[in-house]
Amino acid sequence: MALAALERVTYSYPGAGAPALREVSLELEQGEIVALLGPSGSGKSTLVRALAGLIPHFHGGRFAGRVAVAGLDSRTTRPAQLAGTVASVFQDPEDQVVLSVVRNEVAFGLENLGAAPAGIWARVEAALDAVGALHLAERRTAELSGGELQRVCLASALALEPELLLLDEPTSQLDPAGAEDFLSCVGRLGCAVVLSEHRTGRALSLADRVLFVEGGTLLCDAPLGEAVGWLAGHRPEYLPAEDDSSDRVGPSDLVCRLEAIGFSYRTDHAVLEDVGLEVGRGEVVVLEGPNGSGKTTLAKIATGLLRADSGSVELSGRAGYLSQDPGRYLIRERVIDETALAVGGDEDRARAALERVDLAWAADRHPRDLSSGERERLGLAAVSVAEPDLLVLDEPTRGVDPTRKAEIAAWLSDYAAEGRGVLVATHDRTFPADRRVTLGQEALVGV
Amino acid sequence: MRLAAGSAALLLAASAAAALLADHVVPLAVLTGVLLAVCLRAPARRARPYLVASAASALGVFLIWPLLQSTGIRVLWEGPVVPVVGLLDVTREELVLATVYSLRLAAVSLAFAAYALVLDHDRLVAAAGFARRSALAVALATRLVPTLERDAAGLADAVRGRGIAVEGVRGRALLLSPLVAGSLERAANLAEAMEARGYGRGGHSRAPGARWSGWDRAAVCAAVLLVVAGALWL
Repeated sequence: MALAALERVTYSYPGAGAPALREVSLELEQGEIVALLGPSGSGKSTLVRALAGLIPHFHGGRFAGRVAVAGLDSRTTRPAQLAGTVASVFQDPEDQVVLSVVRNEVAFGLENLGAAPAGIWARVEAALDAVGALHLAERRTAELSGGELQRVCLASALALEPELLLLDEPTSQLDPAGAEDFLSCVGRLGCAVVLSEHRTGRALSLADRVLFVEGGTLLCDAPLGEAVGWLAGHRPEYLPAEDDSSDRVGPSDLVCRLEAIGFSYRTDHAVLEDVGLEVGRGEVVVLEGPNGSGKTTLAKIATGLLRADSGSVELSGRAGYLSQDPGRYLIRERVIDETALAVGGDEDRARAALERVDLAWAADRHPRDLSSGERERLGLAAVSVAEPDLLVLDEPTRGVDPTRKAEIAAWLSDYAAEGRGVLVATHDRTFPADRRVTLGQEALVGV
Repeated sequence: MRLAAGSAALLLAASAAAALLADHVVPLAVLTGVLLAVCLRAPARRARPYLVASAASALGVFLIWPLLQSTGIRVLWEGPVVPVVGLLDVTREELVLATVYSLRLAAVSLAFAAYALVLDHDRLVAAAGFARRSALAVALATRLVPTLERDAAGLADAVRGRGIAVEGVRGRALLLSPLVAGSLERAANLAEAMEARGYGRGGHSRAPGARWSGWDRAAVCAAVLLVVAGALWL
C-alpha cells in the first residue's frame, strides 16, 4: 500500500478565483525521495500543505478529492493528528520557531506527540547531531542565523522520526556548502521525502522521482531519468545550469569603489577586515561567500546603509538596495503606491517599473495579497523605479523559479547596459554575471 | 556548576529580596558583584543593554540622592539654596545612604537581568507547573521583542534602500502599520507550523527537567539563608 495518496484533489484558497490544485492524483511510496518542481505560485506549497493535512483544515477554502497518509484520510484527520507520521519544514524558519532555546525547540514536537519523557533528550540530541547542529543545543533561537535556524527546523522534524518528510524550500538561506550538507543528510534519512526546491540541481541530484506542477496541474510524474528527459523537452530551464564563471576583469568607469573596508557589529568579532570591491558602470557583479562571510554587510556599506569602521567608500551617483526577503518589507496599501514611493508618487514611472517585472496587472491590489514570488518582484520594482546608478540586490533569487530567475538576470543585464552598476549578493552559483567576487571568512579572496 | 532553572530562579529572587532588606554597603557590594559576574556569563551583545540600564539607574540614584536629602552633620560640600528643594549640601551620611540605595537598586536590577539573560525560561515556566498554553504564551512573548526589533530594522533598511529617509516620529510612524501587519502574518504562519508539529492534539508529555543536583539543593538553602541574613544581619 502506498504511504500517501492524492486522488483527484482540487483545491481553491478562500476568496481565490482559480484553483491552486486541479485534479491532482499521485502516490508516494515508503522511502522514496521526490523532487517537486514548478514555477512560483504553481501549487507546490499547496501540494505540500495538502499532504500535511493543513489543507483544508488550517486554510479553509474549497476542497474536493481525497488525501490519505498512512491510511488516514486528511478530511477527517486534523493536521496535529497526522504530525509524527508527517513532518514539515516550511520556507521561512523564523516563522516556525516556537521556543527560546534550541534543545527545547527540537523537543517541542516530541512533547506534543506524547513521546516517552525518558527518551526525549536522546532523540533531540540525535536529531541535532544528524543535521550538524548539536553545538547549537544550548543557544537561544533568537540569536541564530537563518541558516542555523533552518538546520534546527530540520532537526525538529527529524526528531519526530516521520514516515513522510515534507520540505518546502528548506535550503533557501544556506550557502552552497551548507545546502549540500543539508541535502546529503536528507538523502540518508530513509523516510519518504517530498522536496520542493527552486534550485533544481540540488533536488535532482537527490531525487528518485520528479513531480512538475504548473498552474495547479501535475504535468509530469516520472522516475528521475524519464523526468530529466521530459524537462529537457518541455522546461529546459529547470535542468541544472553550469556554474557561470565568466570573468571580465577591470571595470573602467566605476560607480562604486570600496577600499580597505573594516566593519564589526561587536567589538570582539570583525565581520569585514581590509576588504575591497569595485563595481563599474555597465557590469553585473556577483558577490559570493558562505553564511556569515559579510556579504550583506558589504552590500549595505556600498549603498550607505551602514558606515564602515575603517576604509573608504566612493559612490558615483545614487544607490538603491533591495534587501533579503523584500516581500516582508512592504509598507503601502496598493502595489502602485508601493512602487511610486521612491519617485514622489509618480504613477507613470511606477507603472513602467511594474510592467518590467510583469506586475502591471496587480497595480491596484494590496501588496500582501500577492504570492511570495510576486512580492519579491514588487520589491525589485520599488527599488529600481528610481533608476539608481548602483543597484544592490541581496539574495534576489531566493524562492524564485528558474524561469523568473533567467528573466531577472536578463533584466539586470539590460539595466547595467544602460550605464549603471549592479551588485548581487547571492549563494546562487548559477546566477549570470560579468564578474564574480568571493568573500571569504578573512578577506576578499578572488575576482 | 550548572543549576536547574527552578533553583536558579529561586536563588536570584532571594538575592533581590536580600538586597532590598540589607542596609550595609559591604554585603550589598558583594551581592552586586556576584550578580554582575552572573550577568557577564551571557553574550556581551545581549547583556549590554541590561548592564547599561542597571548602571545608569544606580548612578542616577547615587548622584541625586545626597542633593535631595538633609541628613547628617558631617558636611562635605555646601551649595546654594534652591527654591522648593532648599539648601543643596552633601554630607558624609548622605553619601553612605546614597551608596546603599544605589547598590540596592543595582543588585535588584542585576538579579532581573540575570533572570532574563541566563535562565532557560521555557523549562522554568514548564517546570513551575503552569498550564502548557501559558508556558507557550510566555515563550512566544519572550521572542516577540527581538523579532519585532529585527523586522523594524529590516523595514527601515528597505525604505532607506529606496532613497527615502526614515527620520522623526512621522517617518517611524510610517513603519508602524506594516510592522503590525508583518507580525500578524508571522503569527498565522507560526500557528500553522505549530499545528503541523502536533500542537493541540492532546496526550502530550513533558521532557524531564534536569535532575536536581547537590548544587540545586545548596542553592535553595543559600536562598533561604540570604533572605534571613538580609533581614537580620546584613
